[in-house]
Amino acid sequence: MLRYNVRAMKEGDSQITEIIAAAGPSIGELYACCKENAPNFSCSEEQFRVSIERSLAKFCQSADTAPTAEEVNAFIGQLQADDLLMAIACSNGCERAWWEFDQQHRPYLERVARHLAKTEVDAQDVIDTVYVELYGTRVVDGERISKFATYSGRGSIRGWLRTVVWHSLVDLHRSSPDEVSLDEMTENVGEGAAHAAFLAGVDDGELEAVDQLAEKRYRKATIESLSAAFASLEPHERLLLLYYHVENLKLREIARLLENEDSPLRGWFQRKSQTRDSGGRTHESTVMRWLEKCYARVLENFSNELSTTQGLSREESAICMELATRDLGSGDLFAKLSAT
Amino acid sequence: MANQERIDPQYETIQALLGGFLATRKEATPAAGHIEQDTIAAFVEGNLSEREAGPVISHMADCGFCRNVSAELIRLDAAFAETPATIKETASEPGKISEVLSGLFAKIFGTSDGAVFAHHEEEKKDKQEDSDEEKK
Repeated sequence: MLRYNVRAMKEGDSQITEIIAAAGPSIGELYACCKENAPNFSCSEEQFRVSIERSLAKFCQSADTAPTAEEVNAFIGQLQADDLLMAIACSNGCERAWWEFDQQHRPYLERVARHLAKTEVDAQDVIDTVYVELYGTRVVDGERISKFATYSGRGSIRGWLRTVVWHSLVDLHRSSPDEVSLDEMTENVGEGAAHAAFLAGVDDGELEAVDQLAEKRYRKATIESLSAAFASLEPHERLLLLYYHVENLKLREIARLLENEDSPLRGWFQRKSQTRDSGGRTHESTVMRWLEKCYARVLENFSNELSTTQGLSREESAICMELATRDLGSGDLFAKLSAT
Repeated sequence: MANQERIDPQYETIQALLGGFLATRKEATPAAGHIEQDTIAAFVEGNLSEREAGPVISHMADCGFCRNVSAELIRLDAAFAETPATIKETASEPGKISEVLSGLFAKIFGTSDGAVFAHHEEEKKDKQEDSDEEKK
């Protein structure tokens, strides 16, 4: 599991203990409210409290400063508390909670599985496996470990179910008789399967022998500068470019990710461009503008890298771009670069 | 097939260069491991606060596996938003989870005894709790 590098606030810090203690009444109120909505779900206040306190501790550790009281209140307020109560009750084996879960979410779970799986047999296998995982077959210290115990209420239970189904499909591919790599696994599930042809090799025999050394040097400078220019971007910019170019997400799909007004990605881009949308929908054109800003930054950094780090003159930089454009036209730039 | 949507012509070359570079480079898996499923789901739904999302975004910019999971979830979310599911008629009688699981366990392990036994233990506990509540 991910452990963040920046962790000024250690688990067990007295500050975290204080924050958790201060949140006690709010958690109690939340439990009472959820219990009113679902009185027959068997989930004790202690279990509910422990689950939220665990998430709250992680929330405190996710940055190098302690969260403010407002941030803690917002965190608790945003929890999908009813879903969390249901998940804990299901984890306890509560019949009524399972029935409710089955009624509310099974059709959705089946739909996700059928959408992602290649065949009906795979989909059915995954649905069965997910149900078994949700119930839990592993017993540790006399207690059955249910997958529901990993749900924290940070997102909706349906969003969480989607990831459970996705991972289950990846595991299904992993357990198939043919050994496959992690990359191959991800490429076999969902749309990833359509984008697997990244590294087609191209013969570079057409290069004239006399130019080979110089061209090789310029190509090497091009790829190194491009790599450095990309690395110098901020993480949210790199992620946007990777979503677009590597994951092949469409502009409208990226726009959906940024639609939530509280989305931190959206917040970062808006701060960068110093413009705030009036709220509501993020349009494809907005995402395109953000992409263009990223390209502008890459272009600027790329030119600087060619001149400063690679020590190329303006003329040589122009040759690099010319070569790159020519190679792009024939579709073999990166095959040539990978051979350098 | 790579994205082919229209971008300002002045960035076409750098876009093509960058697209080719990103698609062909090899990414190393970060030593820190992968992001929890629960966190990815919350990120895709836009439910993480800025302080929580910062490390997640940094991780996904470096980890192809977690990014790919999130991209698939984003794609799925968009696909489902465009074609809403038809509401399925639900059974009027509650389905016994013990029955559902017994069937599943029997299918997977060839016997359902263990599952039914484990579940009935919980069921008894539930009934006891319900009865306690009624007394109150």
